[in-house]
Amino acid sequence: MNTGVKRVTAYKVVSVILLILFAILFAFPLYWIITGALKTPAAINATTPEWIPHEFTLRNFQVLFTKRSAPLYELPIPFTKLKVLGATAPAAIRWLLNTVFMAVMAMLLTCVTAAAAGYALAKKRFRGRYVIFSLIVAAMALPKQVILIPLIREISALGLYDNIWAVIFPTVGWPFGVFLMKQFSEGIPGEMLEAARIDGASELRTFTSVVVPIIKPGIGALAIFTFINSWNDYFMQLIMLTSNSNLTISLGIATMQAENSTDYGLIMAGAALASVPIIIVFLIFQKYFTQGITMGAVKG
Amino acid sequence: MANQPSMSRALARRENIAGYLFMLPSLVFFIGFVVIPMALCVYTSFFDAGMDRNTPDVFVGFANYAELWKDAVFLKALKNTFIIVFVSVPVVCVFSLWVASAIYRMKESIMSLFRIIFYLPVVTGSVAVTVVWKWIYNNYYGVLNYVLKGAGVIDRNINWLGDQRFALWGIIIILLTTSVGQPIVLYVSALGNVDATLVEAAEVDGATDMQTFWKVRWPLIMPTTLYILVITTINSFQCFALIQLLTSGGPNYATETVMYYIYYAAFKLYRFGYGNAMGVILAIFIGLLSALQFRLAKEK
Amino acid sequence: MKKFLAIALALVMVLGLAACGGTVTSTEDAAPSANDAADGAATSITLWTYPIGGWGDEATVKSLTDAFTAETGIAVTVEYLTYADGDDKVNTALTAGQGPDLIMEGPERLVANWGATGYMVDLSDIISPDDISELNVAAMEACYAPTGEVYEYPLVMTAHCMGVNLDAFKEAGADQYLDLENHTWTTEQFIAAVNALEEHFGGAVGAVFCGGQGGDQGTRALVNNLYEGAFTDPDHTEYTWDSEENIKALKTLYDLKGIEFNPAIAGGDEIALFYNETLKMAFCWNIAQQLNPNSADTGAGKTINGSEIVFMAFPCEDNIRPVQLQGGIWGFGIFDNGNQAKIDAAKQFIQFMCDSEHTIDAVRAANFFPVRTTVNAWSDNEIMQEYNKLMPMLGDYYQVTPGWAQARTAWWNMLQQVGQSDGSEAAIKAAVEQFCAEANAGA
Repeated sequence: MNTGVKRVTAYKVVSVILLILFAILFAFPLYWIITGALKTPAAINATTPEWIPHEFTLRNFQVLFTKRSAPLYELPIPFTKLKVLGATAPAAIRWLLNTVFMAVMAMLLTCVTAAAAGYALAKKRFRGRYVIFSLIVAAMALPKQVILIPLIREISALGLYDNIWAVIFPTVGWPFGVFLMKQFSEGIPGEMLEAARIDGASELRTFTSVVVPIIKPGIGALAIFTFINSWNDYFMQLIMLTSNSNLTISLGIATMQAENSTDYGLIMAGAALASVPIIIVFLIFQKYFTQGITMGAVKG
Repeated sequence: MANQPSMSRALARRENIAGYLFMLPSLVFFIGFVVIPMALCVYTSFFDAGMDRNTPDVFVGFANYAELWKDAVFLKALKNTFIIVFVSVPVVCVFSLWVASAIYRMKESIMSLFRIIFYLPVVTGSVAVTVVWKWIYNNYYGVLNYVLKGAGVIDRNINWLGDQRFALWGIIIILLTTSVGQPIVLYVSALGNVDATLVEAAEVDGATDMQTFWKVRWPLIMPTTLYILVITTINSFQCFALIQLLTSGGPNYATETVMYYIYYAAFKLYRFGYGNAMGVILAIFIGLLSALQFRLAKEK
Repeated sequence: MKKFLAIALALVMVLGLAACGGTVTSTEDAAPSANDAADGAATSITLWTYPIGGWGDEATVKSLTDAFTAETGIAVTVEYLTYADGDDKVNTALTAGQGPDLIMEGPERLVANWGATGYMVDLSDIISPDDISELNVAAMEACYAPTGEVYEYPLVMTAHCMGVNLDAFKEAGADQYLDLENHTWTTEQFIAAVNALEEHFGGAVGAVFCGGQGGDQGTRALVNNLYEGAFTDPDHTEYTWDSEENIKALKTLYDLKGIEFNPAIAGGDEIALFYNETLKMAFCWNIAQQLNPNSADTGAGKTINGSEIVFMAFPCEDNIRPVQLQGGIWGFGIFDNGNQAKIDAAKQFIQFMCDSEHTIDAVRAANFFPVRTTVNAWSDNEIMQEYNKLMPMLGDYYQVTPGWAQARTAWWNMLQQVGQSDGSEAAIKAAVEQFCAEANAGA
């Protein structure tokens, strides 16, 4: 027994050391982005890495915010060809706003549509459900590059090209959410649905007052998953958005990187702006994040 | 008793209608932005279609497909795509299971610190992470060469992304760091949910640590593992941004994937039909892979 | 609940950042959208520009477009492209049928690429015989399609060259190989200089960058000049970079210890490495970079540590053929989006920039030389005067050979394969032949 304890301890020590090494590796990119954004050009271009900055500067952010400008927001006035333009602001701020709008809209739409569809697939015995479910499973892992050309043409025919909705809609169409919600809804006890029907509740009412509360954790998981996926879906943004004022933060930073490959500090400032807001949101809500993700996996 | 069949027919109709109505919002997006483009993709793959406005699209039957099997670049891209998937999926599973089993019994605060750190690259976003990795792999003063040289592992700088022997692995490593966050969270909670009395019972019976793990814990976390397999497979096919921003498929096609080659065929070679044919082939492979995974899931 | 908290928090953060940005100027104002009736005159056009000197800089371009708007009442929306993904962006937009009205780049894209695929408007009607007599002959010639249409109105031109870190050359005793009076050197001198630098500093002193995307003119001119090779035949119908001279040049570069084939970097990265003195020479250099201060602001023509940068022609063998520098020609083209009013407005824009008293400002913004010979843009600038010495060395503008986009791609892939090979003559020859054939398939 004694030797057993010793062995466990030795294993523990080694694994903790390894864990710490890996943790450093995983945290390093973010550390490097944040410090790099605050470094002077001389320090960031130094050929021996400056692990801890000696001198801090806001110069990189100044350049980032003055390089490009865009109206802070654009609101089209319905039934006219007019739109209200916001005050001129640094384009990077507009990109951030666009990205938040995109991710939130994709998240809301996906949650609503997927929850309803997942419930129907799990609990409603309608004709064709096997076909639909098979299609969904088959399309789940499909990379969007496959439908690159037809999608661009279709979006353009709908008049959505270079419009943030062109990125949102295909994200909502991606069927993973439906799959996830179906797995969840399988767990709804049939008796509860039966009871609701006997009480004379309408289908919609059954859904909102019985189904949704039960699958709420799953919806939370899906919301987080969709938000992060949509935020990071560089490819769709790349092919659908062109105007400076319609870019997302990832796209804007990638463009800025290509444009100013000699100004590493500026690129780091951009990367910091792209990642720090979402990380702050993540840190504040990380408990819900992990809870939500976990709930998402009760079923395989 | 006479009206029993008509009752159930009415019920069936109600189920059908409700099912379709609940499916409708989701189906609009799924059919509109996935199924229709996919159908158009199949259609265009039979044409010699391109960007050229002066030459009309010509029907060529299976010529694009026939050419694919003779295209050394496509075959390499296909191989690389599957290397990425078949390497990263098991590695992600094993690595995250190891991290999770090492941290799930730690103090709540320390465990959640580790969990956050391993999740950071996911929320940082691929574009921002890429900026740092580009510098880490830098041939001249990248930190990887700096550290490895300092440790005496290598004696001269290696051009990690510029050498066909290492480039693909360089990409896979970045992909891994952005993939393990969610599986770790999932495994931590799955392991935490394993009934302690079962483990204790096994230990009382004299089972070693390894035995309790394989005999008790592993079967209980199986659903989680399957779920992780599915999301990691999906994730591995989404490595477009890394390749586009870091290597553009080079050097010498060492990091060419089908996803990138489709984009390349469309916008560098102007061969839409050919690109779509690749898309169809990739979709077939992915469909088969998904079917396999679900067969596996059903058996367990 | 937590969802809404997350949204609210994100919004608050963003607004907070906006308040700190410091350039918030005016309150809301309504502006007409970009939609115009097909019959009336257009009130707005879009211009997409590549980073051609100061034409990639928002403040500079805005002063030019503002002047145009003041005179004509036509608003101009400008989007800034990069060489890394600009082509893809334009191609995507064209595929979507949503190309811009105006595009600013060179004949290699406007004529050989989008002109040849039927997306451009013929500009013959705004180029009079008088204009032709005033425009640089070689530059104008490059703007014609083989079928006679003019797809680009050229504005500025330059000769692409090399940059060398003079202080580093001096330190390694390699400055003896530079003719600083004429800015030329021979192949032997180049080789001797690379070796001297390599011995002194160790490691790579120059990089044949081949990560793709931009800067191809530098590597082409380097390879073609070393032993008098040619990239295409004189009629621009066929790619000839599989010639013996070019293979010999690639072999020479491969064998030089101080030169590295690096597929992990593109032209822009090479400049960054040159600025921070990792590399002692840059193949992706031109006058706009010579005039442009670097990010550390140590001044024009200086590295970030303040070492002096001098521009040089590409090395070539002495007494055989004079060096042939690669020309850069940039101007405007119009995309045919089926709206005649927009096309007319775009033509007005081109005339304003290329054929009016404002042309001098448009030229100076670019930091390059005017194509219109009557424009005297740089008489007050010493560096430009000095750089003028390179202009007579301009070689054939062959970038209008059919299939140019595919040829550029094949060129990168060829360099990558050469760099990854064992460097034997047979391996280099195989790579060159394979990709040259690929380029010719598109020609």
